[in-house]
Amino acid sequence: MSTPATPGLEVAVQRPQRWDVPFDSRMRAVDVEKLLGAEPFASMDAGAFPAALPLEGILKSDTRVVRYADGDVVVREGDYGHSAFLILSGTVRVVVDSLPAEAFGKPPETPPSWWKTIAQGFRRTRLPELRDQPGRMANLRPEPGAVDAPPHVFLQDIPRVLAGTRTAQMHAGELFGEYSALTRSQRPCTVLAQGPASLLELRWQGLRDLMRYSPALQETVERLYRQNDLALHLQETPLFAGLPRESLDAVADAAEFESFGRFDWNADHPVGAKGPELIAAEPVIAEEETPADGVVLVRSGFARQSHRFGSGHRTVKYLGKGRVFGLAEALQASREGRPCDYRQSLRAIGYVDVLRIRQSVLEEHVFPRLPPERLTELAKQHRVEHAADDQGLPDSAGQGGLLEFVVEERLINGRQAMAIDLDRCTRCDDCVRACATAHDGNPRFLRHGTRHGNHLVTHACMHCVDPVCMIGCPTGAIGRDLGSGVVQINDPTCIGCGVCASSCPYDNIRMVEVRDVHGATAVDEESMLPLLKATKCDLCVGLPTGPACVHACPHDALVRIDLGNVGELGRLGAS
Amino acid sequence: MPGFLTTKRLKGAATLATVLGAVYAERLRVDRSLGDSSFFTGYVLLGALVLLALYNTRKRFAAAPLGASRWWMQLHVYTGLGSVAVFLMHTGLCWPDGWLEGTLAALFAATAASGVLGLYWTRTLPLKLARVGEEVIYERIPALRNQVRELAEEAVLSTIAATGSTTLAGVYSKHLAAYFEQPREWGYFLWPTNRRRRALMADLTEASRFLSDAEQSAGEELFALVRKRDDLDYHAALQWRLKAWLFVHIALTYPLLILAVIHGLVAHAFSGGLP
Repeated sequence: MSTPATPGLEVAVQRPQRWDVPFDSRMRAVDVEKLLGAEPFASMDAGAFPAALPLEGILKSDTRVVRYADGDVVVREGDYGHSAFLILSGTVRVVVDSLPAEAFGKPPETPPSWWKTIAQGFRRTRLPELRDQPGRMANLRPEPGAVDAPPHVFLQDIPRVLAGTRTAQMHAGELFGEYSALTRSQRPCTVLAQGPASLLELRWQGLRDLMRYSPALQETVERLYRQNDLALHLQETPLFAGLPRESLDAVADAAEFESFGRFDWNADHPVGAKGPELIAAEPVIAEEETPADGVVLVRSGFARQSHRFGSGHRTVKYLGKGRVFGLAEALQASREGRPCDYRQSLRAIGYVDVLRIRQSVLEEHVFPRLPPERLTELAKQHRVEHAADDQGLPDSAGQGGLLEFVVEERLINGRQAMAIDLDRCTRCDDCVRACATAHDGNPRFLRHGTRHGNHLVTHACMHCVDPVCMIGCPTGAIGRDLGSGVVQINDPTCIGCGVCASSCPYDNIRMVEVRDVHGATAVDEESMLPLLKATKCDLCVGLPTGPACVHACPHDALVRIDLGNVGELGRLGAS
Repeated sequence: MPGFLTTKRLKGAATLATVLGAVYAERLRVDRSLGDSSFFTGYVLLGALVLLALYNTRKRFAAAPLGASRWWMQLHVYTGLGSVAVFLMHTGLCWPDGWLEGTLAALFAATAASGVLGLYWTRTLPLKLARVGEEVIYERIPALRNQVRELAEEAVLSTIAATGSTTLAGVYSKHLAAYFEQPREWGYFLWPTNRRRRALMADLTEASRFLSDAEQSAGEELFALVRKRDDLDYHAALQWRLKAWLFVHIALTYPLLILAVIHGLVAHAFSGGLP
């Protein structure tokens, strides 16, 4: 509701609040009372929560009680998490082994035959976005009495589907899904309801705030991570790969967890600041010319490594999951026996989770356990790099300018970004037509986008490292192909809610109105509004030629490129 | 930017020279054995024309594994250049005198010339387009032009509302209204220049001495919009040229193929039983 303050150009409106739209509008005060009487909330100190963020408020607005029937899927392996679950009653079954995609109503992709690809060339559809079955799919079932809760996907014929797979049970009071929710990573396994079960779903914002003001919950979550995942993650990092188990455990025990940036950074992009303002707004993880104390290990997300140049900062490189910052300084300090300063800064791009391992831990458990030649090799690999053209201003068309561009636009997320060399592109649109041919007459990208010099990064799905579009998909229709890593939308399971399209910070997902095979626009029988489906580039998975756009470009102007890989940038610059 | 003589081009040229050498040698052999080499060169030329026309057909089957378009493009360019040499061998460097042959030769010359011109344009115009401001999609240009016109009108009208002065509005009506409202003349599409933009800029600069501070500010906005509109027109002209030549090139191909087949049939029919 708005009230005019002064006539003319301004209008006074109420500022939107975090809890204007609760996770579930059906949460009642009596539900919150019940929760406050149960663990872990009963032992939380409500007085430790700030007045603006009370414990009751978090439980009322950031949680919901979800009831599952036997066989309902609570979380699916490979889906991206945005919430954790606390079992209130009943039992859930954790499926340790992978289940086939078709168990969730996703049929396996079969590559089209050679003749079918030829036939596609003859097909001319008069109307766009035709579907065999635009309406509801068979194995979606709404939660009983649900108003704003998503429908559940259930497994049919559970004994047959689970035959020969390893499962484990979890019971009332146990928490799961917290790691995926907090690190925005894929669910490591599928969880099903075993008999009727009642679960408290905590959205990540609520879980984060509960952890912030409840040290016990923070400890529980960290303990679960240390117990289940941390040693494994450390072992995957080259620095710690050769360490004996007891040293690895000691490092895991001493590692400090830190998070930087906003989890929902995509909400601000691409509207946010640019250039120096943007860098200034990026949270500092480690600052140049401040005393160095150990190394920073990127656990998820991306961080910008930069050094001061003029009145700004020049990007040297960006670090992704598993990369280490500050090792050169740590090795130098260990060699010289005295502390030294960081020679570059590390800043969070978007949302970053890091582990900080202090110098004392490295000197006690890591450096003495590594052979001298390995230390020399690490020192060589991690020597402090400066931009090649350090003496002058970066050349906009050169590698330095390109690096700044992909970091500033957050394009580093893209594993299969579509880049067009505008010096070669004749704007013939053969790529768009080829895309349409491969997708029943509907192109799945726009030959338009963000430009740097003669390179255009188009509005085509980049199949991101951190696919924020997947967060919040209620049916799991958008997901990553576990084999190829391609982000795909399973059309029959898409309910057209538009969450993925509004989450994509690059505007690479389009919501389209669909029609039945006779060309009639499908409308919701209740609201009479057109039914929508999310569409985007699927990298022509299954086509023998690979992406049709690349295959169709006559002038070799279009490439699909991993912008998260600094080495690949050279390929773009060289074209 | 790599030089003109890249390894790829040298390899392509060497292959083309080898194939042409072989065709020329075979032509000599047939002539020396008292045969009629025009049938041999005619069939080679017809085969080349079919191969050249197949590229457009291949584009239709974008999802089929028929080879990447970039390889077809290379094949198309070298085959096209080679077909010119084979055409010269076939005609013996003389212009045919019959109406069928004359028309056929003219069609071949026009198709080949449009191909060479297109090759030149596809290698040079993208560089020019890439140097102009933002990237625009050809089909969206009319809508973007409208946006520019609306912004210009809004700038002028808001100045009148704010200052009550109509001097800038007068300048707009006299010099700029037609520029923003009308499409560019055909000559511009064939030979785009920035002459009109410079003239309008000069008019605006000249008028600025009579403008108040508020009008000067709106005038700056108009300068930017004139530039933007000119960039859009430049994009439209060059992108239109890139599309138009291809349309002409393909449109010439089909009558050329039909006449070539008719010419072959006639040649066989009147060959007097000779091969």
